[in-house]
Formats: sequence, C-alpha cells, structure tokens
Amino acid sequence: MSLSTALIVVGALVLTAVAAGVLWRTADGRRRGSAGLRVAASDLPGGGLAPRATLVQFSTELCARCPQVRRMLTQIASAHDGVAHVDVDLTDRVDLATRYRVLQTPTTFVADADGRVLARFNGVPRRADVEAALAALPAFEVTR
Amino acid sequence: MTAPAGIDPRGPRFNAAITAVLTLVATLLGLTGLPAARTASSWAIDAAPLAQRIAEPAFLLIVAIAALFLWGVLSPRTQPWAALFRSLVQPRLTPPAELEDPRPPRFSQGVGLFVVGVGLVLHLLGVPLALPIASAAAFVAAFLNAAFGFCLGCQLYLLLARIGVIRTATP
Repeated sequence: MSLSTALIVVGALVLTAVAAGVLWRTADGRRRGSAGLRVAASDLPGGGLAPRATLVQFSTELCARCPQVRRMLTQIASAHDGVAHVDVDLTDRVDLATRYRVLQTPTTFVADADGRVLARFNGVPRRADVEAALAALPAFEVTR
Repeated sequence: MTAPAGIDPRGPRFNAAITAVLTLVATLLGLTGLPAARTASSWAIDAAPLAQRIAEPAFLLIVAIAALFLWGVLSPRTQPWAALFRSLVQPRLTPPAELEDPRPPRFSQGVGLFVVGVGLVLHLLGVPLALPIASAAAFVAAFLNAAFGFCLGCQLYLLLARIGVIRTATP
C-alpha cells in the first residue's frame, strides 16, 4: 500500500475512534425511563426510603467512577429536605443486579417515597439532570 | 483477598496515550510494509521467508509493544510508562480526587497483549494484514481510554467478574 493510501486509512481509523468515543460520551449518564421498576426498601442499607425521594446508587468494589458519583449524590441529597442518598454494593449481590437490571456501575435511580423509580442514570449522571428529576416530584411538606 | 491499594487513575490513561501513538505508528508501518504488500496475483507475505517476516518493521515494533504490555501485566509499577508518569507527570498534577482499583487496568494490559500477540503469531504464519489489523484494534482501545477515559479492558474484566470467571470478592 502506498504511504498516501495508508495515511488515509489511518486517518479514517482515528476519525472512527473519535466518533465512537463521542457517541459513548453522549449516551453515558443520560437520563432514562424506569421500565416500571420499584425499589424495595428491604434491599437498601438502612432498610428504608426517604420521605420525599431516595437517590439509590448501585456500586461495586471495582467501580472507578463510583466515588465521584457518590460525592455528588450525597451533596444533592443534603441540599434537599427529605431526600437521602443510599449506596447499594452489588459486588456479591448478583440477585440485586438482576432484579434492578443493573448492567454497569455506577447506576443511579431516583425513587419516590414508595420506591417507584422515576428516573434512571446508567454511568455518571450530570448534576443538573438529577436535580431536574427531583424537581419533578411534589414539594416536600413536613408533617407534624 | 482484599482490594489492593488504589492507584492514580491518570496513570493508566497516560500509559494508554503512549500506547495509542505506538500502535498508530505500527499500523502505518504495517499498511506500508509486507503485511499489506501485493504481488501480481497474490500477497507478498506468502512468498516471504520467516526471516523476512521477522525483519518487518511493523513486526519488530509490535513485539516491543507486546513486551510493554507483558511488563504491565507482570509488574505494573515498574512498567516504563508508569514509572515515567510517577516521576515526570504526577508531580506536576494536583493529587487525584480518588484512587482507582488497579486490577481492571492491569487486566487491560493483558487484553492488549493478547490482541497484538494474536497478530504477531498470525503474521509469522503468513497471514496478510494480520499485523495492521491487530495494531489498529489495540489503537482504538488505547485511544478511547486516553481521550475519553473509556477502558474497554476494564469493562471486560467487570463482565468476567460478574459472571464469576474472575473472583474478586472478599471472603
């Protein structure tokens, strides 16, 4: 193959790799539907759902991007009344991964007080998207 | 077995960046050399003796790349790019926000070794284009890691850990 042809092939290779990377970046962490899933409070550490919303994060031992999501979700939860963040470790719990159809970690659910999943994020979610999902919930009223 | 000490996640990406450059050069060499060369009606590699296949520049470069992958599997800390990162790059960076489990990146080096290894063997057996295809595949994985932070080998490791082929759980 001549050098010029080879350079064209290599150029196409690089462009294809860039396109694949951009595609992955766009899809990663995007908000998705919940497929009617419902979180059982008994599956969560602490055993309960928060009164307004629970940010359920699924993590594993080897998950490189989970700590940053954990930090972000903890911050969001502390900034909103009635919202809590829980982290479910799937390392030894294939049953939970199957039940909630978790294919990668981090995966995040925004669940309401009854455990209904309102939004799902596979990968690293954008803070604004999580906040928008919370904003769609009815306002929290402290009952006395 | 408990989880090993975490590593700076930028180290493997630095490694991947250098690997991407090397594999891209190797692909170019392969495409302009024996692996892609045609004679009147067949591939030049068919008639090339073993010594010529070995002396092919793309082959020699990919042998070096394979050796670096092997080094990364056997002793990740002493691997040249890792050592370079620690001595030259890391001191100039702020400390990482968090550390990464070193097992998936280490497994990725093994995946790279396997991919280019297959290319090397097929090339010695006289398969045309084996080398540039193998180095192109390694390039894509290395490039995605360096430029986008996507680790293909890590995903494979996680998949194998999920289905139980690799055991990682603390007893």
